Amino acid sequence: MAELFLTPFALPFMARALLVLAVLGVAAGTVGVLVNLRGWEFTSDGLVHAVFPGVAIGFVFGGATGLFAGAMIAALVAAVLLTMVTRRAATSDAAIAIVLTAMFSVGIIVVSRQSNYAGQLEALLFGRVLTISADEVLHTLLICAGAVLLLLLTLKEQVFRAFDPNGNSAAGYRPFLLDLVLNLAIALVVVAASSAVGNLLVLAVLIVPAALARLLSDRLVLLFPLAALAAILAAWVGLSISFAGSLRGGVNLPAGATVVAVLVLGYVVALAVRLGIDRSRPRPDSTPAGGA
Amino acid sequence: MTPAVSPADAPRPSGTALRLDGATFAYGHTAALADITVSVEPGQAVALIGPNGAGKSTLLKGVLGLLPLVAGSMEILGEPRSRVDRSAVGYLPQSDDLDPEFPVSLRQVVMMGRYRSIGWFRAPGRADRAAVDAALDAVGLQDRARDRFGTLSGGQQQRGLLARALASEPRLLLLDEPFNGLDQVNRDALIETVMLLKARGVAVLVSTHDLELARQVCDRVLLLNGTQVAYGDRDEVLTLDNVQRTFREVQVELDEHTFVTPGHDGH
Repeated sequence: MAELFLTPFALPFMARALLVLAVLGVAAGTVGVLVNLRGWEFTSDGLVHAVFPGVAIGFVFGGATGLFAGAMIAALVAAVLLTMVTRRAATSDAAIAIVLTAMFSVGIIVVSRQSNYAGQLEALLFGRVLTISADEVLHTLLICAGAVLLLLLTLKEQVFRAFDPNGNSAAGYRPFLLDLVLNLAIALVVVAASSAVGNLLVLAVLIVPAALARLLSDRLVLLFPLAALAAILAAWVGLSISFAGSLRGGVNLPAGATVVAVLVLGYVVALAVRLGIDRSRPRPDSTPAGGA
Repeated sequence: MTPAVSPADAPRPSGTALRLDGATFAYGHTAALADITVSVEPGQAVALIGPNGAGKSTLLKGVLGLLPLVAGSMEILGEPRSRVDRSAVGYLPQSDDLDPEFPVSLRQVVMMGRYRSIGWFRAPGRADRAAVDAALDAVGLQDRARDRFGTLSGGQQQRGLLARALASEPRLLLLDEPFNGLDQVNRDALIETVMLLKARGVAVLVSTHDLELARQVCDRVLLLNGTQVAYGDRDEVLTLDNVQRTFREVQVELDEHTFVTPGHDGH
């Protein structure tokens, strides 16, 4: 067991990968709980795609460092735009879908002008956690800290708004401000994840740990550590399996995708356990019906 | 039921709680409620009565500042809307659109009523916890404090949201259809709480379809039908003629006339 789950991380590149995914897990897990409580999974998808052209342009012109800078600019613009669009448009899903596909194609067009188009596109979409540099680890850490800080500073107001938007506005809070802060926090997580898990897989890290945590507990304070823990465990187990598969099993398992697969598997197991518990224990009749 | 606040901490109201003079509120560019002139004193309860779409919720939202005042003037606790201390105005929304699975306890929901006075970037302190305890006591739900909000019955949720409104120790309390779908026990509990608040000098605005209820808890009545039909002391305003003018266009509500005819109180 130690050989499978511990030894690989004696290698510096594996240790860096685990560190970066753990940090990302804490940030994505924490911010993801609010995404879950707001029912913002689709909005987050829009944000993820809107950041992509920034990632692509930054990468094309500035390499790995440019990637963070480009992503950061795109993230700020996208967070503001998306907050405005979802507040003004009557059918916000359509608006989000239009913005996200448009932005995504811009990104692809930019990348496609490069030589070695396929390889670079793959790195941007699915990450390259095993070749991440020490500098990039530091970047990820700082950006994640920013995301968590934004959330913690407004946490009680965000939860209030998620629970009762009308009551929250009636108490005098400005919806635009709270939504913008949350969108910025999500955007920062997306930026932080760009080089590690890539633009497509970040959505899984943002959404699955929080959804998993909600299956395990209905106490708000427990959701944040549970989501973070789920993400960290998935990173550890996923990286180990990917390492073993690639080096000894002869199966090439991409690290980022394996981590996400483990995460989703964890969710499925938790869902099965939850359904089993709910079925064997009759609901108290004061509990109103409702989906999980 | 014990008082939410000991007499020493009770709000010391001074002056008029709410004064509207020709007030008109709008949704977008359409006036939703026009030309309201009322004056509510501390300790008074006013029933807002009218058919659906008459502007009852509009008036409450206008007072909360959620809808713009496009004509006339409004003063809350002696101040213009923009200068009012937000925690001095409590609001009980209609609760039917809250997610029953949301992972918050009743206690956490009631604490939300304190967030304005706690302020940004700060955690609740001892005074906040004491206010939450008092508010939970006032609505008789102290024993459910740790339960998830969604596990409470509809009536208990309503009382829980009332406790949230009370937790900020408001001097003006706005209740939007608080008695809809309540059973007798919860209804009595809610009435008792409102009476207690009035005794402590809180001014209360209640929107309701229920004329019977208006008689039980309210001193004054505001009849609405897109505009002000009548305002004044309950017994003077609730005449058959006034109520007919208020509900004239609504077929379903015509039956309710029997509620206001003298000697026909009933439910």
